Amino acid sequence: MHERSLVQRLLHQVQQIVAEDGGGRVTEIRVQVGDLSGVEPLLFQAAFEEMVSDLFSSECQLALDIVPVMAVCDDCGQQFEIVDFQFQCPACPTGAVQVIQGDEVKLISINVSSDNPVEGVAS
Amino acid sequence: MNQRTIIVKKDIQADQKADAAVLREQLGRRGTLVVNLLSSPGAGKTTLLEATAQEFAGRRSMAVLVGDLETDRDAQRLAPLVPVAQLTTGGACHLELPLVQRGLQALGDPAVDFLFIENIGNLVCPASHDLAEHLRVVLISTTEGDDKPGKYPKMFRTSQVMVITKLDLLPHVPFSVDAVTEDARRIHPELDVFTNCALKGEGVSDWCDYLEQQHQQLLARYHATAGNH
Repeated sequence: MHERSLVQRLLHQVQQIVAEDGGGRVTEIRVQVGDLSGVEPLLFQAAFEEMVSDLFSSECQLALDIVPVMAVCDDCGQQFEIVDFQFQCPACPTGAVQVIQGDEVKLISINVSSDNPVEGVAS
Repeated sequence: MNQRTIIVKKDIQADQKADAAVLREQLGRRGTLVVNLLSSPGAGKTTLLEATAQEFAGRRSMAVLVGDLETDRDAQRLAPLVPVAQLTTGGACHLELPLVQRGLQALGDPAVDFLFIENIGNLVCPASHDLAEHLRVVLISTTEGDDKPGKYPKMFRTSQVMVITKLDLLPHVPFSVDAVTEDARRIHPELDVFTNCALKGEGVSDWCDYLEQQHQQLLARYHATAGNH
């Protein structure tokens, strides 16, 4: 259940970024979760709903985008999607591959409403 | 109403990853190879460390940071053999870098050849946390079933080594070394694989030889870097 600690980290980062950007009411946080990130989206969503009101309004939404795992072949340079965790290049199956997308949890963007800059952003 | 969107596009663990990279560099320069040991509970991490300590006794220096949810039982087992610090997470399912830094301080920042981190028994969450290790090692025991790698792909993808433990139980359990190796290499083709029965000392010298090779490569890497300046 490390989703809770990731959500906590996320909320603190959002709080700091919004404060540095002039403050406001956070209405939506967009996050990208990779299929190889080790994060279970349902648990992440549940932890978010439980914890969001600690720092922001409970109206604040989480927009969760699931991204597939992409890799590049060391030998031929081809980029391809990893399906069923088969880390093999379709063109040269013996070559090593490097993951280039899908192993991270990324904060993409924050929607802020600034009609009332104080509300919703704890200082 | 005035709406705006702040674009961030940042890994939420980026700061922790950067801190881990700094510590890995520091310890590497000092000649310490950091080895993060991961497995499900009861796979034999502590037993492998006991056997490793005995094999290295008098030849190589090592220290251990032992992670547990509660109790210091594993640390007590290792304490007669090597310097050890207990990291108790109080229920958290994985170790994070600040605990490792605290453990290093508790040990007095030792200049050892090997620093082992015995992670919390869990094949899921610890895979997502960089603890400044140079080598990530996943243990799998013959009693767990040979279908584990496919079930926990991130753990096997992010590890460089798989150690199959409790080999002496092979006649009694439906476990195939070939099947587990094939399953793991489907996820990570370059994975190094070792088998052993640490309780009886079998296979331990191969494992320790490998660690010594890795340590030599670490020294060579930093020596080469130092020479370039």
